[in-house]
Amino acid sequence: MKHAVQKTLVVGAVALAATLSFGVAVAAPKVGAPAPDFSVVDTAGETWTLGGLAGKKVILEWTNHDCPYVVKHYASDNMQALQKEATDAGYVWLSVISSASGKQGHVSPAQADDLTDDRGAAPTAVLLDTSGDMGRAYDAKTTPHMYVIDPEGTLVYMGGIDDKPTTDQADIAGASNYVRLAMADLAAGNPVGTPVTRPYGCSVKY
Amino acid sequence: MMGICIASSSSILHRGSASRGLFQTGLVLLVLSLVWPGLVPANPVTTENVTARLVAERMEVAPGDTLDLALVFEIRPGWHTYWRNPGDSGDPPRIRWTLPEGVEAGPLRWPRPEVIPVGPLANYGYSERAVHLIALSVPAQWPIGEPVHIRADVDWLVCEEECIPESGRFDLTLPTGAAVGPAPIDPLQADVFAAARMGLPDGRIEGAVLGVADAGLGLVIPADGLSSEEGDGVEIGGAWFFAGEWGLIEHAAEQPWRVVDGKLRIGLSPGALADQAAPDGLLVIADALGEVRSYEVAAVRGPLPEDIARDRPIGLPLAFAFALLGGLILNLMPCVFPILAMKALSLINGLSGQGPEAARERVLHGLAYTAGVLFFFAGLAVLLLALRAGGAAVGWGFQLQYPPFVVFMAYVFFVIGLSLAGAMTIGARLMSLGGARTGSGTAGAFGTGALAALVAAPCTAPFMGAALGYAVTLSWPLALAIMLTLGFGLALPFLVLSLVPRFARLLPKPGAWMETLKQALAFPMFAAAAWLVWVLSVQTGSAGVALVLGGLVLLAFGLWLRERTRSLPSARRRWGLAATSSALVGALYLGVATDRLAAPMLSEGEQSASGLASEPYSPERLAAAREARRPVFVNMTAAWCITCLVNERVALSASDVARSFSDAGVLYLKGDWTNRDPAITAYLADHGRNGVPLYVFYPPDGDPQILPQILTEDMVLRAIRSSAPGSSG
Repeated sequence: MKHAVQKTLVVGAVALAATLSFGVAVAAPKVGAPAPDFSVVDTAGETWTLGGLAGKKVILEWTNHDCPYVVKHYASDNMQALQKEATDAGYVWLSVISSASGKQGHVSPAQADDLTDDRGAAPTAVLLDTSGDMGRAYDAKTTPHMYVIDPEGTLVYMGGIDDKPTTDQADIAGASNYVRLAMADLAAGNPVGTPVTRPYGCSVKY
Repeated sequence: MMGICIASSSSILHRGSASRGLFQTGLVLLVLSLVWPGLVPANPVTTENVTARLVAERMEVAPGDTLDLALVFEIRPGWHTYWRNPGDSGDPPRIRWTLPEGVEAGPLRWPRPEVIPVGPLANYGYSERAVHLIALSVPAQWPIGEPVHIRADVDWLVCEEECIPESGRFDLTLPTGAAVGPAPIDPLQADVFAAARMGLPDGRIEGAVLGVADAGLGLVIPADGLSSEEGDGVEIGGAWFFAGEWGLIEHAAEQPWRVVDGKLRIGLSPGALADQAAPDGLLVIADALGEVRSYEVAAVRGPLPEDIARDRPIGLPLAFAFALLGGLILNLMPCVFPILAMKALSLINGLSGQGPEAARERVLHGLAYTAGVLFFFAGLAVLLLALRAGGAAVGWGFQLQYPPFVVFMAYVFFVIGLSLAGAMTIGARLMSLGGARTGSGTAGAFGTGALAALVAAPCTAPFMGAALGYAVTLSWPLALAIMLTLGFGLALPFLVLSLVPRFARLLPKPGAWMETLKQALAFPMFAAAAWLVWVLSVQTGSAGVALVLGGLVLLAFGLWLRERTRSLPSARRRWGLAATSSALVGALYLGVATDRLAAPMLSEGEQSASGLASEPYSPERLAAAREARRPVFVNMTAAWCITCLVNERVALSASDVARSFSDAGVLYLKGDWTNRDPAITAYLADHGRNGVPLYVFYPPDGDPQILPQILTEDMVLRAIRSSAPGSSG
């Protein structure tokens, strides 16, 4: 309800322009095309936009701490290790929580910070996309669902974190981590070899 | 006693209840194995969300034989397990077998799934119960009498909105006997296996083609492959394609389908790996009685066959000719005509003069007017093409499907009406009725051009439909060129009038009659505004009408304030301007607010306003009627489409038409495109159109016939008569 009123106010402000902005389904993001822009607040209240990250390599990680597939990668320290590796290599790592209020995985900023501390996670920031706007713009379907964006703002990878769609931590050792592979391809100046894969996990709780 | 072990990795298991269940299960198993010593009972694993068991169909197995096992999940209400492609999230069950040497287990077989929507996403899976059959073969050299011990470690995911991975270990011991041929069926399990086989695919369809279609992907399936066991064609009442692997299609997207020329066509929305994923899957069909069948489909990628021969593209030169002709005729349509009458007045008023000065002025005005029309058409075309590129199903007049635009149009007509009636001077310059100020005339002519293009949307002229329908299938520069040609056609009469002095001299002399005519023209404008309010009432119900009427009052008040304060000292004039601006913003806000209102459900009575009893169009209804060899008249219309409404009054409400419909048993299907409707957009696209009206008559046998966009009673009667049994036509 509140959301609807807010939406109307925003729309009302741009009244005439909005007359032409039809409620059309946003086209799905495409690898090789500019990544969709977003404007989402992190746990410290800072607003992050893709435009503000121009010239930086960005990794987006959709997450929900109660999802067993997310637990697989955090309880094993796999995700934390990847976050450190990426941020050390100059990536901006944004963990995105698109769970709607009252849904599984929805957290307050303080809870999100506690989760980061407790799990020893190392994202650059945790974005609270409670409205789900950013998730829908990226067509994020699962937790985890990973996206890699190059310094020009082009989406170069979207899909699963690896090729073992299970909740079993034992599968991590033998898995090909697609995000790590994409980072290696980018570092070598090559196009990403496997740019689109099936994301696996729990559905995003819009 | 068979061991039941629940994998300890499953943290969600409530150990207390699990061990209690274990105890009860053990008791039951004990009793069962006493009653049927040869029986291998199930090993139920009970978790919070499912009860799973692995059972064998037969009492025993002979060496060299194969028997079916069933992995059965009884699922907690509201929770789901998954198909082999789980859709947007989820995971199918997996088995790790531990089998004696030589014994082999086949793959899990998948009964047909259902679509499970999860917010904006969709999963393919099972509710309540999922039974997966597995073939188990025992080698011929297996010693008779020695039981076969098998073990299956199964992982599965079960979700409501939250997901819980669970696992269980199932042990099964099968006695072996010397019997030749299949052993007796286990009576306890017979129902489970019978039901499981009902859910398996009924066959495999060859010859399906997956190709690029207008709105994404299209799957064309030969419908004769869907025949029932009796060999009869199946009357299709519903269809859904489950992609066999992730990435081929958007799982949550709608799948409009229809049967054309003995082929089932399903519209699919491409997924993230649409051009790489295998074009395979499962087709699930419900017949008219609701009986469901499913078929494995292995499609070949390729161009889709043409729907109907007559729908072939009209070709580029013809499309341009039709666009120009359509634009010319658009001048005579009721939407644009009052604007043109105004334009004519301005021409007479300011431009019928003699001399080089007046001639130059005339030329400038004509060019500015043309530029105005073209500018607006270009904007509209770019928007239309951009929206289509973004995957939206839109067509001519699409902007009127957006309620705030309808409100905006109502405001425009209302203000023009007020201005013509002399209630205010605002807008007079826009319409270049001031006349005397020559400098502002060019801008005014440009504005009139844009206005003419703006108000043309609710009307469709003959030839236009075919040209625009073809345009949107072309690359964007060509599509834009065709749209601009249409605009040029609209502007052409006035351009000619302005450029050729001989024509200008034919116009009547200016005089007092012009003021009378100008004021009289206010009433078509008010009528148009009133009609748009009615359109809005169809789109949004009475709440929308309240908003737009409130907006009109605000608008009138604001403009009145502006009139009253414009000649005041500047400080007070600013106040007036501020108040006027707030009134305008308020009116616009009310207009935009109509977007939030849901469309009211139309009652049958409202649907058949033309006097003919109609049913709402659906591809299913059309297919069913065609299958039953019933003649069908399809009318694609919209409340905002003036041409449609005129046709309904003129051609479809006559008593002769009603009689002839009932005599011939014609089913009258009406598709309402007032609000966005992808199924109707798809139907229009199939007939080479992207706007309403569209009239198609389907005789009981033979090819459907597209009737003209300007319809007469006679045309309808002739179409129906020609199809009537016993007629010579």
